[in-house]
Amino acid sequence: MTARHPVRAWLGRDVNALVLAGAIGLLAWPFLTGDAYSLRLLTVAGVYGLAAIGYQFVFGHAGALSLAQGAFFGLGAYAAGIMSVRTGAGFEVTFPAAMAAAAVLAALVALPVLRLRSHYFALATLAVGQVALVIAVNWESVTGGANGIPNVPVPSLFGASVGRGWPMLLLVWSLVAAGAVVARRLTGGLTGAALLLMREQPMAAEAAGIDIRRVRFAAFLLSALYGGAAGALQVHTVRVVSPEVLEFPVMVMLLAIAVVGGRTSISGAILGAVLLIHLPEWFRPLERYYLVAYGVALLAMIVAAPWGLMGSLSRARQRWLPEPEPPLPAAGRVPAGRPPARLAIAGLTRHFGGVRAVDGIDLVVEPGESVGIVGANGSGKTTLLNMIAGVETPDSGRIRWGKSDIAGLPPYRIARAGIGRSFQALKLIDGLTVLDNVAAAAWRETGGPDRDAARASAMALLQALDLAPMAWRRCGALPPGLRRRVEIARALIGGPALLLLDEPAAGLTAAERDSVAGTLAALNAGGTTVVVVEHDLAFLEGFVARIVCLDQGRIIADGAPADVRSDPGVISAWLGQPPDEGHKHD
Amino acid sequence: MEFLQLALNGVALGAAYALVALGFVLILNATGAVNFAQGDLVAAGGFVAVALAGILPAPGYLLLPLVAILMAALGLAVSAVAYWPLRDRPPVAVFISTIALGIIIQNGLNGLFGAEPRAAPPLFAGGQLEFFGLVIARQSLSIMATAALLIGAVQLLLTRTQLGRRLRATAQDREVAAALGIPVGAMIALTFALAAALAGAAGMLLANRYFITPTHGTDFIVKAYIAVVIGGWGRIGGALAGAMLVALFETVVAAWADYAVATGLLYVAMLTILVFRPRGLFGEAEGRRA
Repeated sequence: MTARHPVRAWLGRDVNALVLAGAIGLLAWPFLTGDAYSLRLLTVAGVYGLAAIGYQFVFGHAGALSLAQGAFFGLGAYAAGIMSVRTGAGFEVTFPAAMAAAAVLAALVALPVLRLRSHYFALATLAVGQVALVIAVNWESVTGGANGIPNVPVPSLFGASVGRGWPMLLLVWSLVAAGAVVARRLTGGLTGAALLLMREQPMAAEAAGIDIRRVRFAAFLLSALYGGAAGALQVHTVRVVSPEVLEFPVMVMLLAIAVVGGRTSISGAILGAVLLIHLPEWFRPLERYYLVAYGVALLAMIVAAPWGLMGSLSRARQRWLPEPEPPLPAAGRVPAGRPPARLAIAGLTRHFGGVRAVDGIDLVVEPGESVGIVGANGSGKTTLLNMIAGVETPDSGRIRWGKSDIAGLPPYRIARAGIGRSFQALKLIDGLTVLDNVAAAAWRETGGPDRDAARASAMALLQALDLAPMAWRRCGALPPGLRRRVEIARALIGGPALLLLDEPAAGLTAAERDSVAGTLAALNAGGTTVVVVEHDLAFLEGFVARIVCLDQGRIIADGAPADVRSDPGVISAWLGQPPDEGHKHD
Repeated sequence: MEFLQLALNGVALGAAYALVALGFVLILNATGAVNFAQGDLVAAGGFVAVALAGILPAPGYLLLPLVAILMAALGLAVSAVAYWPLRDRPPVAVFISTIALGIIIQNGLNGLFGAEPRAAPPLFAGGQLEFFGLVIARQSLSIMATAALLIGAVQLLLTRTQLGRRLRATAQDREVAAALGIPVGAMIALTFALAAALAGAAGMLLANRYFITPTHGTDFIVKAYIAVVIGGWGRIGGALAGAMLVALFETVVAAWADYAVATGLLYVAMLTILVFRPRGLFGEAEGRRA
């Protein structure tokens, strides 16, 4: 290791020095200006910062454009405001109550809303906020209607009241700090890489055994908890609760903070909140047009820094002050293999409209076998593989894995049962290192390994697959043959007893093909059952002992490679085709 | 009879919403992104009409083409500022940049015209007609006729002209369109211009019948969004049908509940539809992903 670059040493690895300087500057600034108004602005900035950190769970980490964060914020404000005015309850009661109210709403709407995709999800979550707004305006006896509830008291903590100005500011910002630490713990380390995998390659995450729906639910719930907490702080800062807290501009502000600061950067959320809450104030001299200038500044930031301020900063740092590659982590144990089991398929059928993609297939793969599945385009190979892996649900038939019936189970459960897979079109994260692409697949919602343990296992697999020197390289920079091997390494980190591969030789050079064949032969020799869908018979003959040929969704030949190759049915249905047909995707 | 009257009013409102939804879905198909400023463009169209009427003492039907042309120019500006720099980013970036643009338009209108509701001139004379016991405002008739005319014209443009074929090719597959030598960037800019002109026309029509304020835009975009979701993401016909359903629902329900409650119920109805039909009432356009 060479000595660290002095500028980089000053900046620190995670811009910690910058964050610290920012925090000190933030606190020093109202000292210098000192008036009540700037204290209040900074307090409000903290409130929005907390809500934005929460919003990052769902918008940044889960990658779902939720427009319900404003509703959680507003509901928290109403819950805390109504409670403290009507019952006189202290902050130690109203604050958790506001969080609970928002979390309950999130849990209620999660079931119908979370299964919706992208724009449907955005609109449905927007509707949640709008319905909350209509209720707040019309349920006058409880919410005070359009005027809201005035004279919300300053918060009292176990009987001691927290005064306006400095005390309130410190209360808000200490909660922001606590929220930031919790968020950092929840999304840092291996979890961060796993969240990236779920966002960018959801199918690969499921195939690695990750239950994405559960993670999305957790993210939605967390965002609501933070939103409710921020709402409670808001109502005690502005001392009144009115329908304004539920209106769309609040949601737009939170969205803008997350986008301007950076979608997954906690310091970005805080920086964005401080910046965007103060921005309109700086344009006050423009009088009626100050909000126009605010909009222009916002648009300019979105266009100029599409990764957010913190995202652009870290990209710039990577570009101009690149970190030297750290030393390779020590290799741990190769993950223990799952107990071998027998795969028994009977009468498996899947129709697409009138097409029988798979039409009554019976197939048994004994533990330790290596089987190639071949056939013309549209013969049902990939559909068969997808049904075993849980991506497609069979219309009828059984798939038994050992003693359990796995037909129709979601992919993550099949993966956890010991069946790993790779994809024909590679599903890696190009911007992430080879090591972390593999390590991320070891993550579990609960009870998984930490980052160091996962990296050690990943490192062992990289060594076994001759990828160790590439560990710190980004996947996007590798040639296809190496990327194929990275995907195999990723499929192996769960220690599968059965490995399903979809056209692993597609798009590879002859040398790369030989090397992948060697890898698979070694794996099979180590006891892993291997099932490979492939067009390239020569490639398969290098390492499989048995070949199954499909035609129109049925098995037409099953036996040793040489026998299948000379089978007249196989020749007329598949081998007789013009060669250029043979390399297209099913 | 009372129901027929309500339905008639609903259809007039739906015709204007259909213009907004049409612009929304044209941009959606061309870029894959939601233009969240579409509603603010409607408000802008209304105020352009108000301003023009103050300068030119011409009847509404002569002002309408002028409004459309000015709004088309604004549409080009929108595509240059909020779409073009982000064309290679995921669609959500455009969603957010157009929200920022909406803030600019909304507050710009507020600065120029103030927050009071304003009315644009009618297309033809004001007043009402009565036949078979149904009362109908002349402006409502004008709205329906104009919307039908404009939607028909867009349909002809898309299906019968070379330009329309190029626009549709761009919407179907940008990469293939570019490979065929179609100037994709220009086609997308043109789509924004067309969508803004439609929004402007809707704004002028609505600003006479229902008045207009700078903050109205949010209402319009949400309704267009709902219309496109229940009508099927990316389907032009579905968006028009969705707009009609939204307007009818609003008019009929608002007859026995107040407007805010009607709006709330509209959202509840939309959420209910999504529970049972997660991809809208009529499903998505073929081969399109949400």
